[in-house]
Amino acid sequence: MTIVLTALLLAAQNPAPPAAKVAASIARVFGSGTRVDTLQVDSAAVLRVSRADSLLGFAQVGNVLGKDQPITFLVAIDPGDRLKDVDILVYREPYGGEVAYEPWRRQFRGKTAGDSLRVGREIRSISGATISVHAVTLGVRRLLADLTAWHQRGAIR
Amino acid sequence: MRRVLRWGLCWALAAGLSRTAGAQERTTLGGYGELHYTNPTGPNTPGVVNLARFVAYLAHTFDDRLTFRSELEVEDAKVEGGQPGGEVSVEQAYLDYRLADWLTLRTGLVLPPVGIINETHEPPTFNGVDRPGFDNDVIPTTWREIGVGAVGTIPGGTGLAYRVYLVNGLRADGFSASEGIREGRQEGPLASFANPSFTGRLEWARPGWKVGGSFWYGGTANADSVLGTGSFAAPITLVSADVRYDVGGASFRGEVANINVSDAGAIDARYGTTVGSRIAGGYIEGAYDLLRVLVPGAAQKLNAFVRHERYDTQASVPTGVTRDRSLARRLTTFGLTYKPTWNTAFKGDYQIVRNAAGVGEHEVLSLGVGYQF
Repeated sequence: MTIVLTALLLAAQNPAPPAAKVAASIARVFGSGTRVDTLQVDSAAVLRVSRADSLLGFAQVGNVLGKDQPITFLVAIDPGDRLKDVDILVYREPYGGEVAYEPWRRQFRGKTAGDSLRVGREIRSISGATISVHAVTLGVRRLLADLTAWHQRGAIR
Repeated sequence: MRRVLRWGLCWALAAGLSRTAGAQERTTLGGYGELHYTNPTGPNTPGVVNLARFVAYLAHTFDDRLTFRSELEVEDAKVEGGQPGGEVSVEQAYLDYRLADWLTLRTGLVLPPVGIINETHEPPTFNGVDRPGFDNDVIPTTWREIGVGAVGTIPGGTGLAYRVYLVNGLRADGFSASEGIREGRQEGPLASFANPSFTGRLEWARPGWKVGGSFWYGGTANADSVLGTGSFAAPITLVSADVRYDVGGASFRGEVANINVSDAGAIDARYGTTVGSRIAGGYIEGAYDLLRVLVPGAAQKLNAFVRHERYDTQASVPTGVTRDRSLARRLTTFGLTYKPTWNTAFKGDYQIVRNAAGVGEHEVLSLGVGYQF
């Protein structure tokens, strides 16, 4: 019962992005013609991306709260657990949309779960987008840590 | 025209129908506030402590596209009938209808997107206990008026965003020599719509960078028979530019603005004031996070900053008005901002207030606390 409730609660708090947006994001990050399988780890869905039997990496969709709206984003890692890219799938706030710009997202590429990712240090902020910058950075840190931990203990392979 | 309308309607309907299922109604609370201690030099000027602002932010999301956002503010902690001081006001209250990243329609009491501080005024976002003098006397922060408009980002990864509004106009009967257009704001209550005005902003962002340009254009006569009854009678034209740049532990920002009050002569004659025909000025500010050097690896910040402002609310005056040189102000403020988290700030600064006439010059020591969440 608790599990069902938790799942419902999570579903309610985590608006799903349109499938087409996820597919487009995967194609942008990993190239076209990939095979995408969905793996279930605990309550999370991890996308396994491969081409011709060789593993290209993993991706996961997450949500963080901006000022008053959830920001839906995707984190992709390569088989060596380095961050391949971050994508903003759905941005709903009227301000702070600069987090979707490539020059900002680019800062995360190549980072690992062991790297420090702090706003104002490793990740430069954008004036007027402070809340979203902090929220997305925190969200990326969490998903990167989860994906890495699951991969390293064989929960995703 | 009809064709445009028909397509617009089809498109709005399609946008409405394509809402994803599972949209959740929810309410968000937030807020910001600041407490000040100020002690000016000079005789009979004791230090003052003040809960300068207490603001509650309330937003409600109706569905994926429609959101209400508001800020309710109490200034100076208390408002009591017959007593001086204090103000309770709705600082913002608007409905956003989000059609796409590049287009959100907005209706309500909105903040004209002019300069840096008017839209982003939460205390942890700026150095110094009080907002820059420029953002009081030149750009009348917090400026809010009622109207409709559109906001969005320009697609294609350009880094550009825009906001444009049609709002109620300023009223010339509130203009003054020392605070320019400030008291010409209507701020919501039974505002006259005799002079619909346009305001907007275009800004460009990159990590560490934000550069913006803003404008306001509109009449101020309020259908006064002497000043003119046209929609754009006694117009004012404001243009401003601002930049923010952060690199390493250093951060810089600056704002400039120029306001032309075309019929200042007529306004001065009509209301017995000495409003300048041109109001202009700006400031530059530099800051450095000392903790970068003192405690490498610290997540907190301790910004040492200095800001220099120069502005004149009588940069030009109409014929028959003598320039008051004490209105050509120079403010230099230096101090510290300690930020244990990005959204809390403990501040201290010292401000040197000077003017071209050398009248009433003084210094002010200020301490403050600010937060936002």
